[in-house]
Amino acid sequence: MTDSLVYVVDDDHSMRMSLDSLLSSEGYTVRTFESAQAFLDAIHPELPACLVLDVRLRGASGLEFQRELGRAGILTPIVFITGHGDVPMSVAAMKAGAVEFLLKPFRDQDLLDAVHNGIEQDRRRRMLDQQIAELRDRYQSMTPREREIMPLVASGLMNKQIAMDLKLSEVTVKVHRAQVMAKMRAKTLPDLVRIVDRLESAIPRM
Amino acid sequence: MLAAIAISLGLVAALTVSLPFARRPTHGTEIILPAYAAATFILEIITAALLFSLFNAQRTRALLLLAAGYLFSALTVPTWALSFPGVFDGLGIDLGLQTTAVLASMRRLGFPLFILAYALSPLCGQAKGPPGRAIGISILGVCLAVASMTGLVLANYTRLPAFMLDGRQVNALWFHVPSLAMGLYGLDIVLLLYRRRALLDIWVCLVLFSLVIELLLISYLGGAIRFSVGWWTGRIYGLIAASLILLVLLSETTRLHARLMQTIAAERRIRQNRLIAMEALSASIAHEINQPLASMVTNADAALRWLARQEPRIDNAEAALRRIVDDGHRANKVVAGIRATFSKGTQERAALKLNTVVSDALRTAAPEAGHWGIALELDLDPTLPPVIGNAVQLLHVLRNLVENAIDAVKSGGERPRHIRVTTRAEAMGEVRVSVEDNGSGIPRAIADRLFDPFVSTKPGGMGMGLMFCRSVIEAHGGRISVESRDPRGAIFHFTLPAAIVSAVEPVPFDVSAQVNR
Repeated sequence: MTDSLVYVVDDDHSMRMSLDSLLSSEGYTVRTFESAQAFLDAIHPELPACLVLDVRLRGASGLEFQRELGRAGILTPIVFITGHGDVPMSVAAMKAGAVEFLLKPFRDQDLLDAVHNGIEQDRRRRMLDQQIAELRDRYQSMTPREREIMPLVASGLMNKQIAMDLKLSEVTVKVHRAQVMAKMRAKTLPDLVRIVDRLESAIPRM
Repeated sequence: MLAAIAISLGLVAALTVSLPFARRPTHGTEIILPAYAAATFILEIITAALLFSLFNAQRTRALLLLAAGYLFSALTVPTWALSFPGVFDGLGIDLGLQTTAVLASMRRLGFPLFILAYALSPLCGQAKGPPGRAIGISILGVCLAVASMTGLVLANYTRLPAFMLDGRQVNALWFHVPSLAMGLYGLDIVLLLYRRRALLDIWVCLVLFSLVIELLLISYLGGAIRFSVGWWTGRIYGLIAASLILLVLLSETTRLHARLMQTIAAERRIRQNRLIAMEALSASIAHEINQPLASMVTNADAALRWLARQEPRIDNAEAALRRIVDDGHRANKVVAGIRATFSKGTQERAALKLNTVVSDALRTAAPEAGHWGIALELDLDPTLPPVIGNAVQLLHVLRNLVENAIDAVKSGGERPRHIRVTTRAEAMGEVRVSVEDNGSGIPRAIADRLFDPFVSTKPGGMGMGLMFCRSVIEAHGGRISVESRDPRGAIFHFTLPAAIVSAVEPVPFDVSAQVNR
């Protein structure tokens, strides 16, 4: 699986080595780091990845680091591992979007499953991001008038109604409508409705 | 003691002030007498009750006698006041001229006799049997004695010795009573001051002293005239005498209670702290052992997976197995540390050469230091006197410090890394050991709290190591401290008292001889 990466951040040397070995045996490409800072310096943003993170870390705790990553826009899914699990900590981690919270010593399959899920989640997110970016590009290619007309079309208004609203001729609206459908690459009206929905959820103030 | 002297001086001063007016008679002051009697009665009864309860706790016979004395004194007061000529005439009580004086003499002579018994009875002597029974018997005995004596006086009130000339003037015969009482007071005071067994004795002396002044004023300086200024002043001294022990007991009780509360609070705090420390310790032990355990499990899983592959990777499996061995040793080190801290032998102390302990500690640390390219330097003082201590614990302290130093140095940059351990004989009969490194140093913010539990600069550190070091060093009568080094690194120092080699055998200290003085 060279198209993905597993980052391991644990301050315990021996634990790092063992995780490296376990994940490598399943074919993952593993990068290990002693500290959160070392990880930040070396992160590779292009590939789908998963972060295996020890809760106890030098300086900040793993939970703080999780928040810090979120603020920095690094959305790599996190699998927490901890030597002493307490419920509030695991709840906080899961609420903040962790994939899994594993108690050391954990079953190898649990970790491998969690890492697999993490990478899949990251892959899906990246795909989604890509699609949204593409839609946004299409949106950017429209003229202001077309951008004005698109939501009205998507909300199911007839050409005549749109023409009345915007004080345009029906023919002009018809031309704009065709342009919107072409630029957004929507074959049918339901297609356009779906695209507008996704754009709205990605860019709330479209 | 000082308070007692001050009060007695005050009493004498008040006496001299009142002297010029002592013989002046007053009129219509009879109505104060019932109030005075009631006050005396209540004060003495409460004092007796407190003394009885004190006896209930301490069970010294002397206290029982003192309490009985106060009870006796209190019980004679009501009839004395009731029979006072010219006070309760309105109730139709007339017990003749002599009854009051005879009752007064009973009270005057009875109380110092009880005190005499108190003074002669040993203060550390324990009464046998249940204290409740002893108290019951004494109360019953005193009541019976007072009742029978009073009854006898009242039954024969026409045939009593002629102490009084009239309602106010005394006969010459009366003066035998105060002189006898003064003699008894004096004897009691001398005995108590001579024996001086407890603080209570001093206060009893003060009571007797004010009774002496009372008697002086009433029978001599006041001209032995009832209701004269001197007579009333004497009564005030009587009131002081009646309340002194009560006040002392009350203030003592309050103070003891406050101190007890403090002690209980302190004990609760200590217990709480110990509980927290135990919790932290068990958490730390669990963590310290769990860490290599988790690593072992993961390594074993990895090894199995490497072997189960279609083309088994023996090399990777082997590496994983080797790491399991290392982890096993690491877990063992934790257990050994716990054993060094808590095993039975840790209380045993012997004279030992600290230089040897230092060398041992460095020898065990040498492989790891070598692995990280750290130079270990040893600077031992050959004239170092031996110290008294536990070799296992001190070795553990040194290992802790050296391991900390290695951790601090290895995380640093690429400069020449070194750790130096120095031993020195100091002035004042102390031995100093310093562990110096040029590692990452100690953040100023936590330097003060470094030896507290849960404070650590290390990732995953529970902050128990240095706390252990401090508790061991302090248990050895030494001190441990840390300072930052310029431009980087830290020095940990600890000092231990040097053993005095030619020490004289300690003189057996007789504790029992020191207790009752």
